[in-house]
Amino acid sequence: MQVTDLSIAGTQSTPEIRADAAAGVLSLAGDSYPENAFELFGPVIDWVERYLAAGDAPLRLDLRLLYLNTSSIRAVMDIFDLLEEAFTHQRKVSVDWFYDHRNERVRELAEEFAEDCTFPFRILPDEEAAG
Amino acid sequence: MQSADLHELREFCTERRIMLCFNGPMSRSLIEEIGNALRNHLEADRVQPGAAMDVFAVYIELTQNIRHYAARMNYGEEEASATVVIARHGDGRHEVSAGNVVEAADAEALMHRIADLAPLDRAALKARYKEQLRAPRDPDSPSGAGLGLIDVARKSSGPLQASLHQRGDGRAFFSLTALI
Repeated sequence: MQVTDLSIAGTQSTPEIRADAAAGVLSLAGDSYPENAFELFGPVIDWVERYLAAGDAPLRLDLRLLYLNTSSIRAVMDIFDLLEEAFTHQRKVSVDWFYDHRNERVRELAEEFAEDCTFPFRILPDEEAAG
Repeated sequence: MQSADLHELREFCTERRIMLCFNGPMSRSLIEEIGNALRNHLEADRVQPGAAMDVFAVYIELTQNIRHYAARMNYGEEEASATVVIARHGDGRHEVSAGNVVEAADAEALMHRIADLAPLDRAALKARYKEQLRAPRDPDSPSGAGLGLIDVARKSSGPLQASLHQRGDGRAFFSLTALI
């Protein structure tokens, strides 16, 4: 597979991003409220497109996202739309979204995304995700 | 120039339970730093994590909207200034207010949009939000400013309060308050 991995360190306002083509896993963790989310998520959307086009291996998103500004919500929706499109072509894609059980807002955010997806989308309380 | 009456300012802030206020040009890093201070305040006040996230979210959307607008208009420092006040209500809710200078025509359009959102209940706001999320993006406004306003309305426990103060130069000072 000729898809380069991504590894972008997180900052106060941007999540840690890791894309591992060999493992078929894209993980995003942390807060996301950059002023222009498309600058940040552009390479991620690009990676997902290239990964999905490069073969037929499964793709799993491992999300530990917290607060997302509306600009980031749009970018994440674009990623889910790519997964949805692939899923309708029998591709194995899934999302596991872990949230801190003390913060119901993150769960609600994940649930709203899941409403528009037909692929497997699990929303899981993470007792360890404190802080 | 008369020196600032800090005692008066302090009394003003204390009386209105203002936990944070700012007036001036806001850089990207300043938005983050004030946001940090806000989060620390909310945590120290033992505000529930979900409610604290709502207050923070409204603060971020409003201040980022102001920055995007000022950038799009090529405003200088004075016009680009934001006035931000975050106050604690006696009932545990928080009031987030943000104001900035806007062109008169944009001010009217904003007032209309806010009046338009006012009668919507939670379900209708959610429907409007999802509709806007799927709407074609305006290349002049990559930030999704329309979506931000609906997001703020959804997090607010009542209709958004907006007001205009005409400046007499074709521009107005627009201010918006959300109660969370």
